[in-house]
Amino acid sequence: MATGFIILFGLTMLYLAATSRIIAHIRILIVQGVLLFLICCCGAEHSNLLNFAFLAIETIVVKSIVIPWFLYKVLKQTHSNRDVAANIPHFYCLVISSIVLLAGFLVSNYFVSSVKMIAPIYFGVSAATIIISLWLITIKHKIISNVIEFITMENGIFLLSLSVAKEMPMLVNMGVLLDVFIAVYILGLFVNEINKEFKDLEVSHLSDLKDYEYND
Amino acid sequence: MINTILIFPIIACILVLLIKNKTFNTWMVNLYAVVHIVASSLLVFGKNTELSIPYFALDHTNAIFLLVLSFVYLMVAIYNTGYVKNIDVPARRISHYSFMIMIFVLSMTGTLLSTDLGVSWVLIEATTLSSAYLIYFNKTKHAIEAAWKYVFICSIGIAMAFVGIILLNVSSGDVNSLNFAQLYQHAASFDLPFLKLAFIFMLFGFGAKMGLAPVHFWLPDAHSEAPSPISALLSATLLNSAFLVIVRVFKIMEVAGCTNYARIILMLMGFLSLFVATVFVYHIKNYKRMLAYSSIENMGILAIGIALGGVAYYAVVLHLIGHSLAKASFFLTSGNVLELFNSKRVKSVSGLVTADGKTGWMWVASFLAICAFPTSLLFLSEFLMIKTMLTEKHYVLCAIFALLLTIILFGIGRVVIKMAFGELSEDKAKLIETNKNRVSYWMYISQFVMLILVFVLGIYIPNCLNEVIKMTAGAF
Repeated sequence: MATGFIILFGLTMLYLAATSRIIAHIRILIVQGVLLFLICCCGAEHSNLLNFAFLAIETIVVKSIVIPWFLYKVLKQTHSNRDVAANIPHFYCLVISSIVLLAGFLVSNYFVSSVKMIAPIYFGVSAATIIISLWLITIKHKIISNVIEFITMENGIFLLSLSVAKEMPMLVNMGVLLDVFIAVYILGLFVNEINKEFKDLEVSHLSDLKDYEYND
Repeated sequence: MINTILIFPIIACILVLLIKNKTFNTWMVNLYAVVHIVASSLLVFGKNTELSIPYFALDHTNAIFLLVLSFVYLMVAIYNTGYVKNIDVPARRISHYSFMIMIFVLSMTGTLLSTDLGVSWVLIEATTLSSAYLIYFNKTKHAIEAAWKYVFICSIGIAMAFVGIILLNVSSGDVNSLNFAQLYQHAASFDLPFLKLAFIFMLFGFGAKMGLAPVHFWLPDAHSEAPSPISALLSATLLNSAFLVIVRVFKIMEVAGCTNYARIILMLMGFLSLFVATVFVYHIKNYKRMLAYSSIENMGILAIGIALGGVAYYAVVLHLIGHSLAKASFFLTSGNVLELFNSKRVKSVSGLVTADGKTGWMWVASFLAICAFPTSLLFLSEFLMIKTMLTEKHYVLCAIFALLLTIILFGIGRVVIKMAFGELSEDKAKLIETNKNRVSYWMYISQFVMLILVFVLGIYIPNCLNEVIKMTAGAF
C-alpha cells in the first residue's frame, strides 16, 4: 500500500515540472502533504501513538493546510499566477524529470537493496524528488516558485527520513523543524517585506548586489 | 556554568522584549557579553566546575572556540554601545535588534557546546533565522536581497546537511544515536559507501554556512549589507561554529578509516575558496565585500589546514584565533569608515588617515594583521602551514598556496592603501566634519584591544592559553 502512495508522490513531481500555473503548484503541495500522511499511516503499526500523532499533525496541518494557505495569500496579493518565462520549455522539463525519476528507481534498486535499513523505493523517489526540485529552482523565475520547489525538496527529505523513522524518530522530528523553519521565513521575510519593496516577485529583481559596477 | 551561559540570555531576551528602552536594551547585550566571558573563562581555565549537562558539554575540541566566541562577542558588544546611539529608529526596533543579537549568540554558543549532531544541526538552523533578521535590519532594498539570498542558500544547505545526517544514520546501522562520542566509538564499523555520501552532503551543507567556495554565494552580500557589528559577529564567530561541526564530522571519517577521501575533498574546497577570493578581490569595488572575500579566503585556509593534518592542526587553531580577532577588528573599523564617509565604495573613500587618524591607522593595522605581517598571529599560523606542506613534500600545493595568498594580499593592500592615504577632497572634508561626532570613543576601544592582542599573541602566547590550544589541536 505504501509503495503505491510513494509512486504517486513521485508522479506529483512530474506534474509540477509540466505545469506553469502557480495555483496548480500550490494544490500539488496539498496533495503531497496528504500522500505523506497516508505513507505515515501505512507505517503506523511500528511506532508509538504519541509519535504517530505528532507526524499526523505535521503532515496534515503544517504541510497540507498552513503552508499552502500562506502561499495562496501571497499569490492573491501579488497577482502573479503564471511563471511564464521559465528558461526551458515545459515539454523538456517533463522529459528531464521523468528521466531523473526513472534513474532514481534504477539506481536505488541496484545499489540500495544491499542495505537492510532503507527500502529502495523510498530512497529512489526521495532522491529523485530532491534532484528535480533543486533543478527546478534553478530554472524558475518567480520567487514564489522557488519557495514552492524548496518545499517539495523538503517533502522529499521528509520521505527519506520516514524510511528510517522506525529506528530513529528523532530524525523525523528534526525534519519537522525544518518545515516550521520554512513557514517562519515565508511569513516573516517573504510575505511582509519583499512585497513592500518589489512590485512583482521576479528573481531578476534580486540581482543588484554584485562585484562589478556596484552602486550603493 | 553551562547552564548560566545558556539560560541567562533567555531571561535577558524576555526582559528586553518587555522593557523597550534603548539604553536598557544595549546594556543588557553588554551584560550578557560579560556573563558569557566570565562563565566561559571559568569553564575553560577554572577547576572543579561542572563541564557537562545533557546534550551540552565542554570538551577538548570546543574549548578554544568558546573562548574566541566570548571574547569577540564582548568586543562587538562594546562597539555596539556606540553604534546603537547612531541608529535613528524607534525603541521597539532596537529592542528586536538586541533580542536577535542575544538569540544569535545563544544559538552559536549552543552549537559549539552541543555533544549531539542533531542538536548542532537544529541550532545552526536557529543561527540562520536570527541572523537573517539582523542582516536585514536596515530594511533597504539591498538588505532584503542579501537576507533573501542568505536564507535561501543557507536553508538549502541545511536541508542538504539533514540528508547527510539521514545517510549517516543509514550507514551507522544499529547505532541509533547522533551523539558524537557514540559515533566515534562505533565509526569503525560503519557502512563506508553511505558514510562517504553522507560526508559529501554534510560538508556541502555545513560548508554553505561556513562559506567554503562552491557554496559561498550568500557571504559577500550578507556581510556587506549587515550593520557592521553584525558583520563582525558573522565573520568572526558564525563561520567558526559551522567549522567546528565540520571538524567533528571529519573526525568520524578519520575513525572510520576514510581519512584520505575526506582530506582530498576538504583540500579541493579549500583551494577553490582561495581561488574565488583571489579572483574577486583583485577588482573589488566595495570595501566591505572585500573583507567578506577575505573571510572566504581564511575559511579556505582553515579547510586546507584540517586536510593537511599533523602540525597543521596547531596552525589551524592559531589561525582561527588570529582570523577572528583581526577580521572582527577590520569589520568594526569598516563600520567607522562607513559612518564617516556614508559610502561603501572604494572610489569615494580616500585620505582616511587625514580625515580621522585613529580610524585610518586602525584600518592599516587591521590590514597588516590579516595579511600575516610578522608578529601577527596569522603570520605564525600561515608559516606553520607552509612548513607542513614543505615537510610533507606537497611542493606544488605550497607554491599555489603562496601565489594565491600573495595575489590576495596585493588586492587587499592596494585598496587599503588607496583608502588610508591619498588626498582628501574639500567637500569630503566638510562631510567628515559633520559625521565625526557620530564616531564615539566606544567605537575605537574594541578594535584597539583586538589588534594589540593579535600582534602580542604572535610573539608571546601565555602558558594557560597555550595549554588549551595544544589540547584542542590534539583533539582534532
